[in-house]
Amino acid sequence: MRRFPSALASLVALLVAVYFLIPLIWLVMSTAKSTGQLFSDFGLWFSWPLHWNLSWAGMVAFEHGVVGRWFLNAVLYSGVVALLSTLISAMAGYAFSHFQFPLKGLLNLLVLGSVLIPFTALVLPIFLILHALGLLNTYLAVILPSLVSPLGVYLMALFWEQSFPMDLRDAAYMDGAGEWTVFARIGLPLVRNGLVTVALFSFVGTWNNFFLPLVVLSKGSLYPITLGLAVWNSTVQAGSSVNYPAILMGALVSVLPLILAFFWLQRYWQAGLTVGAIK
Amino acid sequence: MRRRLTPYLFLLPFFIPFLVFYVASILYAVYLSLFVQHGLRPPIYVGIQNYLRVLSDANFGSSLLTILKFGVIQIPLMLLIALLLALYLDGLKSAGWRAFLSGSYFLPYAMPSVIGGLLWGYLYSKGISPFDQVLSGLGLKLNFLGSRGLLWSLGNIITWTWTGYNMVILYAALRSVPAEVYEAARIDGATSGQVVRYIKLPMVAPALLLAALFSVIGTLQIFAEPFVLQSLTYVPTDLTPNLYIYVTAFNYGNFNYAAALAVSLSVITFIFSLAMLWLQSWQRRRW
Repeated sequence: MRRFPSALASLVALLVAVYFLIPLIWLVMSTAKSTGQLFSDFGLWFSWPLHWNLSWAGMVAFEHGVVGRWFLNAVLYSGVVALLSTLISAMAGYAFSHFQFPLKGLLNLLVLGSVLIPFTALVLPIFLILHALGLLNTYLAVILPSLVSPLGVYLMALFWEQSFPMDLRDAAYMDGAGEWTVFARIGLPLVRNGLVTVALFSFVGTWNNFFLPLVVLSKGSLYPITLGLAVWNSTVQAGSSVNYPAILMGALVSVLPLILAFFWLQRYWQAGLTVGAIK
Repeated sequence: MRRRLTPYLFLLPFFIPFLVFYVASILYAVYLSLFVQHGLRPPIYVGIQNYLRVLSDANFGSSLLTILKFGVIQIPLMLLIALLLALYLDGLKSAGWRAFLSGSYFLPYAMPSVIGGLLWGYLYSKGISPFDQVLSGLGLKLNFLGSRGLLWSLGNIITWTWTGYNMVILYAALRSVPAEVYEAARIDGATSGQVVRYIKLPMVAPALLLAALFSVIGTLQIFAEPFVLQSLTYVPTDLTPNLYIYVTAFNYGNFNYAAALAVSLSVITFIFSLAMLWLQSWQRRRW
């Protein structure tokens, strides 16, 4: 009796999965087409012969390989931010979880309150202050504001609490270890899961951030790949003789690192989202 | 003495950029919002005049109204789908099937919003869109990016991006129910419908409210998706508050007024957050 509804539910669940995958499936198929085939053939199937090499060549040829530069810029922004932001979040989280100090309550409230401030709301104020500091159109304009992650501090504090017992820390003090040694040599390896989680979110968050680079960068050579593609796409729409498959190949290249990170680090995603949400 | 300074030293690398980009930037925006500047002449202090202008700004009002109407339909729909998916995954026995499904549902969250917007933009475009190809084959003509379809199409992009994220949060809340609770309910002869109604739903209620809070905040901030759709179709510049703020600052170069708009939007977002948090504490007291 229960067979039929459960088979139906499985079918619906599968169709929903297809819905979420369609843009990526379409992307993979479309990068294998010529511009003509993109318009003449059915969108959700392959057109033979497969032209991935042509759309790749078209992407590489665009403005003497600027797409490669955009890709490397994105790697640089996201890599540096992930590394530094994780370290400073780990340090701040450690201070909140393992120390008592007079300003603790106030500072903690400040950080927690900021979790609710969407980064998007800060972009214009950040632009204005970067302008005042003379930092517009530099790598730092993207990196410095992205280093601040109140959610990262909050997550790290939770991970510290769970993974680094006070007794263990006190034992390390007894052995004569200094504060930095206790933090870096004994503590950090114990919160490895937290570090990976925060680094993952900060890498992906920086890779996917569009509003900030759009506003603080006007030099094309500094663009990360998402911004570069959006600009390429909009200039191309205004002009003629559009090489759509080349743009789409760029889009595919821009999401590949994310898809890899997604499958490789899948369990950390869930940890990062739920530790914060359930508490 | 040394130990008393230690926590502050650990906090310093975080708080320096925090103070510059979260605190000082907001204060500086508030400061700038109190001036007007015409051309290259020096700025003039005008007090709250910019804010009075915000209150009577038809474009800003219309952007808020649009996004509110949008959220009233999109957020409940998205959360309902996320809840149903979470309940379904929670009831599954096959771990492999569950991993495949939850992975597929969650994948869009890892995609850049620009790329999501770009891909859906193409999937909406006449001639390229496989949906359009099928529909026009059936003799139907739908303009996904026309003035009447635009908000629905945007709603689809946002739903596509965020449903999986909300599902993960709700699913984790369901998982946190101890197995003994289900065991006890089963012994008492509860049907699976009763388990959902009396155990699972109350257990996910706080997570659901939290998801709603983040959805409301996120909806007020929508920017990248309508921004990239601009290259494919006509998007009114007052479609979302952030689009209007961007245009005011960077197309019209009116940074003082844009700062007033941004501060106003932050205040509105903050009020919504407080209201939702108050709702949450009220709900906690009830259950």
